[in-house]
Amino acid sequence: MWPEYLFPSPSGVFRSLGEGIKDGSLLLAAAVSMQRVITGFLISLAGGILLGVALVRIRFLEECFGPLLLGLQTLPSICWLPLAVLWFGMGEKAILFVVAAGSLFSIAISFVSGVKNISPLYRWVAKTMGASGWQMFTTVIFPAALPSFVAGMKQGWSFAWRALLAGELLSPQSGLGYVLVMGRDLHDMNLVVAVMVVIILLGLAVEKLFFARVEASLRSRWGLDRA
Amino acid sequence: MLVLEGVYKYFSSSGTDRLVLENINLRVKSGEFVCLVGPSGCGKSTLLSIIAGLEKADRGRVYKDGKEITAAGPDRVVMFQEAALFPWLKVIENVEYGLKIAGIPKEVRREKALRYLKMVHLSRFADSYPHQLSGGMRQRVALARALAVDSDVLLMDEPFAALDAQTRYLLHRQLQEIWQVTGKTIVFVTHSVEEAVLLADRVVVMAANPGRIKKQFAIQLSRPRHLKNVDLAFLAGEILRELEEEVAKVARAEYDGEWSPEEDVFLPAPNSNMGDGI
Repeated sequence: MWPEYLFPSPSGVFRSLGEGIKDGSLLLAAAVSMQRVITGFLISLAGGILLGVALVRIRFLEECFGPLLLGLQTLPSICWLPLAVLWFGMGEKAILFVVAAGSLFSIAISFVSGVKNISPLYRWVAKTMGASGWQMFTTVIFPAALPSFVAGMKQGWSFAWRALLAGELLSPQSGLGYVLVMGRDLHDMNLVVAVMVVIILLGLAVEKLFFARVEASLRSRWGLDRA
Repeated sequence: MLVLEGVYKYFSSSGTDRLVLENINLRVKSGEFVCLVGPSGCGKSTLLSIIAGLEKADRGRVYKDGKEITAAGPDRVVMFQEAALFPWLKVIENVEYGLKIAGIPKEVRREKALRYLKMVHLSRFADSYPHQLSGGMRQRVALARALAVDSDVLLMDEPFAALDAQTRYLLHRQLQEIWQVTGKTIVFVTHSVEEAVLLADRVVVMAANPGRIKKQFAIQLSRPRHLKNVDLAFLAGEILRELEEEVAKVARAEYDGEWSPEEDVFLPAPNSNMGDGI
């Protein structure tokens, strides 16, 4: 119906997938991308929690920078790329920076809103039991904010994943984005769609195997799933 | 001993200050069981929060054993109307919470927590999560959690108000027993006069708008007490009369003066014929 170079057929995509898996190029690219996104995500998780804790503990910071954070969250993280390239050079670090910047703010914001939504009763109970400061944080505030924080992490993960591919497309070194660009340059639309399939499958796998399980176990422990 | 001296509290809403507590002076002896009753909005829960240190008085001072109360602390544990168990902890871990904060080693606190869980007859549910328990059971866990801290003062803010009558009856008996065994000082807020008379050594009746202490009743009845006791019913009647004036006042203020309950009238029903069938 359509020429192969405009819209590839399923069989062609499968062939491309098979070849890529057989010679290991797709698997290698996926592994490189996963490693990057996980590293970037862990960086933003650590940074996001630190930022969140700072915002929760120091009201002044939240009043000053709350709206700014919201703005930064809506900024597509790929906008950081020119600066990242300037600061870190074309390479691994620039991509990691873009990935981390992509999810950092949404993680920090979800942490803050999770803490704000904690029932004051929990805090009162802990206070009258003698908890304060850091102890209050680790024994009540953090566990109580965890369910909404996990939801924020999930969102952060999808931001990080998008940021990664955007970064890899614009500053191709290796990874899935690089293979995608290669497919375009070679007019091999089978390969392009095959990479898209891999991206979807990886996203689904992380969602179902990790986040869905963590969420389900939290929900059942809290008793949120009862009808 | 708890001493409140000239406590005032204002709530400010939309620019205007409303006086919630006016010149509260109260002494609670060590080991005494005091109930605060009053119409809704009389500030009895606020008063309890001030004793707990969760809220600050705008004027006046609160002392415990001669030391001024400035913040919440484990020597004055509060039990709230909702159980407020931590949903991420197992029942036994909830009971252990205060001990964990106090830095007591794991085995010691587990043993102690189990003892208090037994006291409220819930040791079978030690490894359940709070959502798996009924409302009454959760409240009993909250009681065990409050008792496990071993504070000499226990503050209770309508802890049994949301429970069904049977569970409340059981918890009244348990609380009486526990109080007799542990000898804690208890300040108990309730809107039920019967509950107050059943439990307390002294009932403090509060008036509303602004909240202040209206009258105090010493309840000198033997324990354990039962609701069907005649003396208890008599005392409850006395206190209720005192309270009804206040309730009526509050209701009139809330219903714009249209609130006028008739006293002791038969309902005239067309098909009722008094003396019929004698």
